[in-house]
Amino acid sequence: MPLVASTIAGAAIITPILVVFWRSFTSGRLGFDVGLNLANYARVFSDKDIMPMLSNSVIYAAGAALLGTVLGALLAWIVARTNTPGKALVELMPLYPILMPTIMKNIAWILLLAPKSGILNGMLQQFLGIETLVFNAFSMAGMIWVFGLACVPLGYLFLLPVFLSFDPSLEESAYIAGSKPMHTMLKITFPLAVPAFLSAFVLNFLRGLRSFETPVLQGTPGNIKVFVSRVYDSMALEFNTGLATSYSVVLVVLSVITLYFYVRATRFSERYATITGKGYRVRVIDIGRWKYMTFLLVFLYFLAGILIPFIVLIVVSMIPYYDYDTFMKFPSNAVLTNYFIVMKHPSFVTGLYNSLVLSVSIAVITVLAGITMAFTIYRTRAWGTKLFEFIGTLPLAFPPLVLSVGLVIIFIGTPLYNSLWALGIGLFVAYFPYAFRNASGSIVNIHKELDEAAWVHGAKWRHVFFKITLPILKPSVGGALFYIFIEAIRNVDVAVLLTAPGKEYGPVTLFEYFRVGQWAEAAAGGVIYLIILIVAVSMAKFAFKMKFSL
Amino acid sequence: MLTKSTMAVALSASILFGSVALAAEKAGVKDAGKEAIKDPKAAAQKVIPQQVRKEAGSANATASAKKAFEKVSQELYPKAKQEGNLIVYSVWDVEHLRVITDAFMKRYPGIKATYWQGRNPEIVTRVLTEFQGGQASFDVVLSDNAPPVIRAAGGIMPYETVQKDVLLLHDPTLPTVSLQIQALAFNTKKMKPAEAPKSWEEVANPKYKGMIALDDPMRAGPLSSMLAGLKTQWNDDGRFKKFLTGLKALNVPVHKSTSAMFRLMISGEYNIAMPALLHDVMEEMHKGTPVSYVKTNPPVLFPRQAGIYAKSPNPNTAKLFAEWLISEEGQKTIDSVGRESARNDFKSKTSIESAFGKGAKTLPVTDKLFLEDPKKWLDTFVKPIWEG
Repeated sequence: MPLVASTIAGAAIITPILVVFWRSFTSGRLGFDVGLNLANYARVFSDKDIMPMLSNSVIYAAGAALLGTVLGALLAWIVARTNTPGKALVELMPLYPILMPTIMKNIAWILLLAPKSGILNGMLQQFLGIETLVFNAFSMAGMIWVFGLACVPLGYLFLLPVFLSFDPSLEESAYIAGSKPMHTMLKITFPLAVPAFLSAFVLNFLRGLRSFETPVLQGTPGNIKVFVSRVYDSMALEFNTGLATSYSVVLVVLSVITLYFYVRATRFSERYATITGKGYRVRVIDIGRWKYMTFLLVFLYFLAGILIPFIVLIVVSMIPYYDYDTFMKFPSNAVLTNYFIVMKHPSFVTGLYNSLVLSVSIAVITVLAGITMAFTIYRTRAWGTKLFEFIGTLPLAFPPLVLSVGLVIIFIGTPLYNSLWALGIGLFVAYFPYAFRNASGSIVNIHKELDEAAWVHGAKWRHVFFKITLPILKPSVGGALFYIFIEAIRNVDVAVLLTAPGKEYGPVTLFEYFRVGQWAEAAAGGVIYLIILIVAVSMAKFAFKMKFSL
Repeated sequence: MLTKSTMAVALSASILFGSVALAAEKAGVKDAGKEAIKDPKAAAQKVIPQQVRKEAGSANATASAKKAFEKVSQELYPKAKQEGNLIVYSVWDVEHLRVITDAFMKRYPGIKATYWQGRNPEIVTRVLTEFQGGQASFDVVLSDNAPPVIRAAGGIMPYETVQKDVLLLHDPTLPTVSLQIQALAFNTKKMKPAEAPKSWEEVANPKYKGMIALDDPMRAGPLSSMLAGLKTQWNDDGRFKKFLTGLKALNVPVHKSTSAMFRLMISGEYNIAMPALLHDVMEEMHKGTPVSYVKTNPPVLFPRQAGIYAKSPNPNTAKLFAEWLISEEGQKTIDSVGRESARNDFKSKTSIESAFGKGAKTLPVTDKLFLEDPKKWLDTFVKPIWEG
């Protein structure tokens, strides 16, 4: 049964990919039938700019993924395992930055880091007399910083359940042998978190390779060209989905190489089993004076991840226009005009409502399917299941527009076209890799002895899955649900081609203003959107005691 | 064994499903075979006469356009009412589409108008995929770059507006309902009007190095359309090459987002944005933002058109919508959302006459190859100089 479910999910994922792959063998623009040929691939592999662009892409994606995943893992360890003061605050602070979409971070950090007009360089000049332009948003470092911040949530949400469900006997053995707490952390705890860490890193790396907003907004002005712009140019300038797919195939190759290393690194999965059949409580470690440093680190991330960009957006949404002098005059020049404009937008409520309903459903279905596929790979002995490891991650190698073209071609002419189902399947395919990688990173940490005990007693797969695997995975399920819900509710890229006329999806208001570059109105919309989400998360946490992996 | 076969069956089903989808798509191409044209250039030359422009309006033209609109409206409305629906695909803001479709429905009761909004690449992709799939899925594509590209693939039903005499830019197969007007804008806190370049060509002067940001000339965006306009107007390859080489030699930041570049100019990051859109500049000037534009420099005019889809299920409603958009009432609605009028007799703050003065020269973009295959145009005329 898990195999059948996984195969259906795998088929749903692979079909649009096969469709666009097929198209890569036709070199004509959309609307022009030129027959099958290899011209697209000939173009891709004779493109002299491909190597410098790929090299920029790899530096950017690996840099951001490393920064984000390491920071996320560190935050997860601090929250789960240390005696850092202000427990309630420390648990909440890493959570809020997840709510801020990357494009909002981009705009806010451009305003902060722009060389001549940025807030930080302006302050250095005004208050410290430093004339040198220290910060530059339009540089590789600027890109890595902003996208790296956007990578932290995955690292945090993937690692937190691992640190929370750790069999302490592994660490206790080290203590008995005379190891100090920090040494134990470095030698025992962190190595055991490797599968989840690599899972998050792989996802963040692939997200970085195909991400477009940061390279467009921050890379292009700094003359940093990334590979994915070739994919978008194929679509935007040549209207040639086949060529776009041929370029995407290079990303697929990179993904396969990345996954190969992941599978190799975690091939002896029993080594990483930290959740065993023994009863235990996770031990909090006294890190001495370091606890103030860890509090500071969490607070600094909170500042950079949401508070500072949020304040920038609030000010920008209330001043007549942004430049450094006008920014610094706030609040004497505050006006609320942009808020009235946003509230009057015809789709403010409908778009939000539609996406709310769909993203809740998609988050639940995707997470369940992801766990099922991970369960099939690591807990059944069926032939060829390792193939799922690749299929389940594949959608991340395709830029959203290319992926949604495949879905449109499949659905066109069927009753599903222009229906909510098509949109739902599109979102499922797009977010499956997150659910799947999250589950596969966590399932490796569960010792097989728990399943084996059930099998020995004659349990069927459903008993093992629903009574053992799913309850143990509860913390990571919570995190994945939360992440996919937050991402799906603001999805524009995959949804756009699958949305029927007259049906708005997503917080149209907010993203429309970002897309057309009305930053002040976009900031106002962003502030309203964030306030709604922050209130919702805080209520869920405090009033309904909901746990987000905590 | 069972598990092996389950996987094999499901994956084969998936492949089969994919092949069926592709076969259906290909069949669609064959069905539409008469319309889907293999050679865009030959097709364009065959069916599309050159765009024409009429800068000056006249009272006679206004009166005859009004009469022609009333007549065509009376003819089309009963048929449109029978059709009952209108679906518009557009790049315009949802906020604007809502105002426009509401006004249309109010003017013509009994017709339900809905819309889908996407960016130009998304519109072209969706329209041509639906066209290939033989789908009668929508009626009008309302956009700037998309309609000529769709026309080149055979996806547009040619329609000539009856109000052509009042249009600044007229295309006999695609009704022009609005214009994208580019202006040479500068930050007044960073630069005095006297210091600003007096023409597009002067922007390439080395003295502006470090002050300017450029829209990416290698994408189908405002700067490349300006280049297409200048190339046609100058008809002088040496001058064109000198201008483009001069721009390149400035070695200034290049943006793929014109709006982000404009915001950064306002912020003081740049003195000049090359180019900016007139309606953005006007809106900011109205709010008191320190931005202005060079009034003596010919504005670039790029058509925004309402193309009728070749497989439109409601063709009469589509024609009525296009005609209504060009009518005085339609143009007032378009103006009310801050978009520029397509007519030479329409008075508003973004009209050529009020923004640039009576009899101002303009720079229209009429190059057919650029409009229909921007990639080919850029590869031929810009790439060798820009990337050479």
